[in-house]
Amino acid sequence: MVKDSVLFETVGELAKKIQSKQLSPVELTESYLQRSETLGPRFNAYARLTPDLALEQAHNAEKEIQRGHYRGPLHGIPYAAKDLLTVKGIPTTWGAKPFADQVFDYTATVIEHLTNVGAILIGKASMIELAGGMGYMYASASLQGEAKNPWDTRCWTCGSSSGSGAIVAAALAGFAIGTETWGSIVCPAAFCGVSGLRPTYGRVSRRGAMALAYSMDKIGPMARSAEDCTRIFAAIAGHDPLDRGTLPVDRAAFTYSPAADLGSHTLRVGWLTNAWKNYDPAVAKVVEAAHKYMKRRFPTMKDAALPEGPWEDAANIIMQSEAASSFSELIRSGRVKELNDPMGRVAGYVAQDIPAADYTSAQRIREILQKKMNELFDSCDVLVTASQPVPATPLDMNLLTGLSFPDPLGAIGNLCGLPALSVPCGFTEKNLPVGLQFIGRAGDDAAVLQAGRTFQAGSDWHRKHPAIKA
Amino acid sequence: MDENESKKLSRRDFAHRAILLSATASLAPAAIALEPSTAQNNPPAKKQEPSNLPKLPPASQAEADARFQFVTTLPANQFDDEQKAMLKTLCIYLQPALDRVRAYHLENSDGPALYLKPLVEREKKPQPIHTQSSKKS
Repeated sequence: MVKDSVLFETVGELAKKIQSKQLSPVELTESYLQRSETLGPRFNAYARLTPDLALEQAHNAEKEIQRGHYRGPLHGIPYAAKDLLTVKGIPTTWGAKPFADQVFDYTATVIEHLTNVGAILIGKASMIELAGGMGYMYASASLQGEAKNPWDTRCWTCGSSSGSGAIVAAALAGFAIGTETWGSIVCPAAFCGVSGLRPTYGRVSRRGAMALAYSMDKIGPMARSAEDCTRIFAAIAGHDPLDRGTLPVDRAAFTYSPAADLGSHTLRVGWLTNAWKNYDPAVAKVVEAAHKYMKRRFPTMKDAALPEGPWEDAANIIMQSEAASSFSELIRSGRVKELNDPMGRVAGYVAQDIPAADYTSAQRIREILQKKMNELFDSCDVLVTASQPVPATPLDMNLLTGLSFPDPLGAIGNLCGLPALSVPCGFTEKNLPVGLQFIGRAGDDAAVLQAGRTFQAGSDWHRKHPAIKA
Repeated sequence: MDENESKKLSRRDFAHRAILLSATASLAPAAIALEPSTAQNNPPAKKQEPSNLPKLPPASQAEADARFQFVTTLPANQFDDEQKAMLKTLCIYLQPALDRVRAYHLENSDGPALYLKPLVEREKKPQPIHTQSSKKS
């Protein structure tokens, strides 16, 4: 079996060992599978493991590499995919009881892309039911139960890519695929102390992914470094004629160049002063230190401010309206009441009654916001702020009665389809991770990845991992 | 900031937060940890209604009430008392977002962010690229 310390390595490090034949893809897969079988239930990290498929893919990878046919940095790397991505013949539950036995006869494009580069699917990651599409007020809003944070199992991983976050943090796989409509990659990445990329809307095909809000859903990687996110993104980005939401060929594709010249283009960085109203004191200290560090890495960094307007309201109206349509049959049939969360059982009925005129007005406000953000990006390449103003929250917190906070940046980023990368930037005194997020102009995923890689080139927060006893 | 202003902001802030919670957000908004965890796999059975619902202007309250009535009186929709209480709360939480979007000034020329993308047959079924030159000589 492969040593635990190796299992915590980045994809880049594992790839080097695999390419030089120091590490067997079969052995690596067996080790991650065994670790996932043992530790997965502790974190409620998986919807299911796919050992037969994984071992078949691992043996194929091993044979190919032995023959000298090395496909690239993901060849032989085990990963998990959020359980809203179809894999032919394997249940895809969407994290929800009404779909517990759902099986599709085709595989999602993003999984096909990863298969084509030799990555190994070892399981489907647990998630919030319907990715939160019907609303939820407890972390337990999942067919698999609440996902527990590997840094502190009394805390949540955040959602809705909750299992994906736990899997990467606990080294149950080399990386994971998550999705975001509003916060579902950035927040779990922050709470779990991993790197997560929310790509520009339309760069990654959603064919085979559960739809929540058609105009806002994105798919992206969660991994142990920004460099890894870059490699994975290069494998999954691209136009797909079967997803009309994807960008044209020339604007969807992304090429990873290993030396991607971190110093060749100096990024203009804007530190956001109004993204969060208040910070939890434990997070504030870490963010202050991150600000100082950023100043050293990017000496020209200056303050920047988000435009003000009803962006969260517009985002909520759009998301609720589109979700009510996505799950209209579930609502009308009454089966929505089989969901685990008390809010999820009824919120769709209210969302169905949002007037079409208000939805259209929200879309018009969205266009105005896009122009305002485009202007903001004329003066900087990347905006930066904390990924979340709080650390991981207790598992049993009632989100309806507990304190919460405005999230204009989450609304803006997801309304405008902007790329964002969350990277770990420190820990609270209770040893909970804190994330820093970089946000770029739509289509400029390269800038946020460059910023994240530059940040990690001089820091080792992404190297920390939770102490997990087998 | 005087006390009235503070109250106004407080209500607005709450409504702001509340709509996040009522939303079908894929991310339930994180909340500041206040109590030690007692992890449970099932949500508490006891209903926990928020004590600080946003106070709506009369017209908005009427709309929220009408929405609640509409949702709960449709014959196909059957709800128990707890679900009705949740629905009422959600109707109230939704209203400030609708009000703010309606209050935002839009010109007739402000188009929506989404436009029809005509279905091009070759996009659905990619055709091989024709190599024959169309250049006119």
